[in-house]
Amino acid sequence: MRIVAMQCKAEMLRIFRNPYYVFWSLLMPILFYFIFTRVVNTGADDVSEWQAHYLMSMAAFSVMGSAIMTLGIRLVQERTQGWNTFIRITPLPSPVYFAGKMFGQTLMHLFSVICIFAAGYLINGVSLTAGQWVLSGLWILAGSLPFLALGTLVGFMKRVDTASGVSNVLYMGLAVAGGMWMPLEILPKVMQQIGHWLPSYNYGEGAWEIVGGGYPQWSNILILLGYLAAFMLLSVYIRKKQEAV
Amino acid sequence: MSHVIEMNRVSKIFNDKKAVDGISFTIGKGSITAVLGPNGAGKTTMLSMLLGLLTPTEGTVKVFGLAPKDVKVRERCGAMLQEVSVMDRLKVREIIALIRSYYPQPMDMEFLVRATGLAPADLNRYAEKLSGGQKRSLAFALALAGNPQLLFLDEPTVGLDTTARRRFWDTVRELAAGGTTILFTTHYLQEAEEVADRILLFSQGTLVADGSPEDIKARMVKQSLSFLPSGDAAALRGQLLKLAPVIDCYDKDGRIHVVTENTDEALRAIFTGGLAVRNVRIHQGSLDEAFEQLTHNHEEDMKR
Repeated sequence: MRIVAMQCKAEMLRIFRNPYYVFWSLLMPILFYFIFTRVVNTGADDVSEWQAHYLMSMAAFSVMGSAIMTLGIRLVQERTQGWNTFIRITPLPSPVYFAGKMFGQTLMHLFSVICIFAAGYLINGVSLTAGQWVLSGLWILAGSLPFLALGTLVGFMKRVDTASGVSNVLYMGLAVAGGMWMPLEILPKVMQQIGHWLPSYNYGEGAWEIVGGGYPQWSNILILLGYLAAFMLLSVYIRKKQEAV
Repeated sequence: MSHVIEMNRVSKIFNDKKAVDGISFTIGKGSITAVLGPNGAGKTTMLSMLLGLLTPTEGTVKVFGLAPKDVKVRERCGAMLQEVSVMDRLKVREIIALIRSYYPQPMDMEFLVRATGLAPADLNRYAEKLSGGQKRSLAFALALAGNPQLLFLDEPTVGLDTTARRRFWDTVRELAAGGTTILFTTHYLQEAEEVADRILLFSQGTLVADGSPEDIKARMVKQSLSFLPSGDAAALRGQLLKLAPVIDCYDKDGRIHVVTENTDEALRAIFTGGLAVRNVRIHQGSLDEAFEQLTHNHEEDMKR
């Protein structure tokens, strides 16, 4: 148990001491939020609904980004720099190593969600019921699982440059096509149809439903679980293949 | 299970290239063994198999009588790898504490801090900010974190300054005296000669010599005689070659050198024969030469 606690603590320290994280994970979503709710007139019918909706988009956008990029790039870094090799010759069980990573990520996500929610409240006075705040926050944390699995896949890449490039494209692509930057409804029909099947859309949709007074759809949950299962299977497969030396 | 390490006819093939070719040896408790060889001799590949990072293509590797990947083995081993990397954004002290927590009976923290040789201020720095040599010292402390009974060191002193190097070997000797088995790779012959009580000489993936530094030296190092001719040098050389113990003779730096298996007999033959020589010197070949000769001979054998 002590091993797990130490590993989690180490991962937490590492994540919060990385200033680069602050920029990508918080600054960009908050800036976007400010621009699209205060500067640019989006012509939304119900302004306060749009402000809450877009707050969820940005919280999900932030968490998705750190799940894919921060995790993926860190994994590649640790492998290419040989740290992973060293860990493999210690008695540390690899599930614990992995659990530490997930714990660090989840804390970071929680921190991001709190900061972005606070920004929503401060910038626009977004007001939700306590239940909605908590539920949407939990949804964003739990829903990040498939993206963490995707980050793990990115983590198998050989070079940091490749991983960083690929994860950037994945991240931005998923965000735009999943309606996080702008509502899916204003995109072309084809894009909308594709978008409905993307994990990013279903991730955002769950949170949008909550702030709209409802609950995430079963379809949102099932699609996210489906992606999670697919990414995890793929990751086990790649791991087996890479270890066969 | 008296052997700490047991390698039995181990080979490792990478894409048709044999990096390690049919190696067998055993290592007993508390010994310091140097694995010596030029670059590409298969030292690191062999070490990776002992650490369970690579699976041998043929043969068996046992550490403490178990497979190297066994967690029971990992708990009793420590290793300093050639490629040193440290976790970023963690302070030196934090990294040491973290790695210690992986082991059931970790080494005393103060001992580890002393082994790094780092100043107190450096212990609170981020590990990635350390210099190359300091990182290696940290890697050494991390290798010791689990209070290992078997310690692997892959070219441990590369990039260390003289002081750090001395402290490093002092600590290693101290550990060996306490019963820790140590296996290190190096291509510095002097290091192997000074520190190890056994040398495994690798060349082209095979074990070409195995013995104490003295053994290897006695077996491999050729002694020679040299002197100045008192009279006609050419006539002297003719006389010398007729003597039984003399294998060959040649001129170098104005002196006549004689190659022989036994300097005592050669001298006796020279003096009883009344050869005109003066200023006689006996040359003790260095292990360096033997090393070069051995690996070189072996490479030539391979080409044939």
